[in-house]
Amino acid sequence: MKILLWFLALPALLLPAFALLYIVYQALPALDWSLFVGTQDTKLHFGANQALWQQISGSLLMMLLACALASPIAMSIALFHQLLAGPRQKLFIHALLQVLQGIPPIVYGLCGLVLLVHLLHWGISLAAGAVILAIIILPLLSSNTIHALERIPDEQTESALALGLTPFQLLIRVWLPNAWSSMLTGLLLSMARALSETAPILFTATVFSGVVWPDSIFSPVTSLQTHIFYLAQEGYNQHAIDVAWASAVVLLGLVLSFSLCAFFLRRFEDH
Amino acid sequence: MNNLQKKTSKPMLAETQPQIATLALTNLSLTLTDKTILQHVSLSLAASGITCLIGPSGAGKSSLLRCLNLLQKAWSGQIEIQQQDIRQWPAGEDALRRFIVLIAQKPAVFPVSIAENVIFGLSRKQRKTNQDVRIKTCLQQAALWDEVKYRLDEPAKNLSVGQQQRLCLARALALQPKILLLDEPTASLDPRSKQLIEASLKTLALTMPVLCVTHDLEQAQRLSEKIIFMCDGKVIETADSVTFFQQPLKLESREFLRWSSCDCD
Repeated sequence: MKILLWFLALPALLLPAFALLYIVYQALPALDWSLFVGTQDTKLHFGANQALWQQISGSLLMMLLACALASPIAMSIALFHQLLAGPRQKLFIHALLQVLQGIPPIVYGLCGLVLLVHLLHWGISLAAGAVILAIIILPLLSSNTIHALERIPDEQTESALALGLTPFQLLIRVWLPNAWSSMLTGLLLSMARALSETAPILFTATVFSGVVWPDSIFSPVTSLQTHIFYLAQEGYNQHAIDVAWASAVVLLGLVLSFSLCAFFLRRFEDH
Repeated sequence: MNNLQKKTSKPMLAETQPQIATLALTNLSLTLTDKTILQHVSLSLAASGITCLIGPSGAGKSSLLRCLNLLQKAWSGQIEIQQQDIRQWPAGEDALRRFIVLIAQKPAVFPVSIAENVIFGLSRKQRKTNQDVRIKTCLQQAALWDEVKYRLDEPAKNLSVGQQQRLCLARALALQPKILLLDEPTASLDPRSKQLIEASLKTLALTMPVLCVTHDLEQAQRLSEKIIFMCDGKVIETADSVTFFQQPLKLESREFLRWSSCDCD
């Protein structure tokens, strides 16, 4: 029985490790410092020769904006859930968040394209991408924030209220000090999710080249995800493929760093 | 905080004369999700002294306490303090909860130091005024000062359960309440902690009414002047302690006393 379980579990353990090693191996030819900062020759070039810091900063900028938009809304949903919602409303909120998490991101991208890019005339822009990403991560962030607040012992909430604390004081003096690490874990996971999304921002926010740094929130941006997507299609150009693998390693590194931070924070919290 | 013991124990909490509060409930009923918790409960509390609320589990005793300081609001009927309807309490429900403080059965200390826990319920301005004296006085009143005076800056969670319960009492007293509600304050405490809390309550009850839910009938006999016996959400009998335990009037009271393990003589 034990051997059978090991046999079944082994692929699950080994496959991600092999995949990771394979991606790093493929990226090795292009992975050097000049890939990130560019060289004297390539600084004015676009596409495969573009310095990768532009794509990295574009991805991070969009992720941060999305989190800045989603966080206060997620917190409001969680506070409504904890302070005001009755049992039926709580059930509705949980069901709604589950349903929203199940919607394919490309559908959000399509809605963003129609509503934000065309109807509101925002164009392909950082703002449109950040709003769509914020909507995508909102259910995950809200669920994590609700979960963080639910983990606070009822006795502490009751005792604080029995001492005459207002709901605002309860939030600032009891809930946040108790739940900050769980909330931060949720935020880090949402950041990783925002960095992983490609389809929605392809429709709404990013271009392959021609942009170094957006002039305003209504300017398009470049991103690692878009970079990989376009370079991977240039099958005849080995350099482009190498850069695509290298970009994938960088993206993977960013996503993993957020996920691992969340993992260790959760361990810290459990102890 | 370390210089606390050097300071004089000026009676900080007595800077305003205690305002004696009288509490009266009329026809209080509570129904939650089609379950009747309280039915037409009417009672009143004396201006001082300990009243014990006893009865079998599920009688509605704890729910009654939660109604009294508006942690539970779905009730009907009337609750008055000094002839003032608590639903129209002039300074709002937060102020009401500082006037009529509830101490729960399970001690819940906040993840801050012992000293900060004592003044946790106070406003920022109050916390800055005579902080050290206030902390010392409240801890003394809760019979905890001698055990914690050299470690006021330690996290409160390091205290034993009995000490945490006394810390909760000190925290409540820091608000200078006029009525004290206690929900099984000594359940699951060791005899020494129980004794200390009972001694504190007896002293406090000289200046304010204390309503205490307890399953410990011996404790009810030791502590209270008045007993309220509840069953199935109703007040069955209200009597002075001696009469209730020696000659209970109602059949339900007699049955309850007969079935409880306490020696009521």
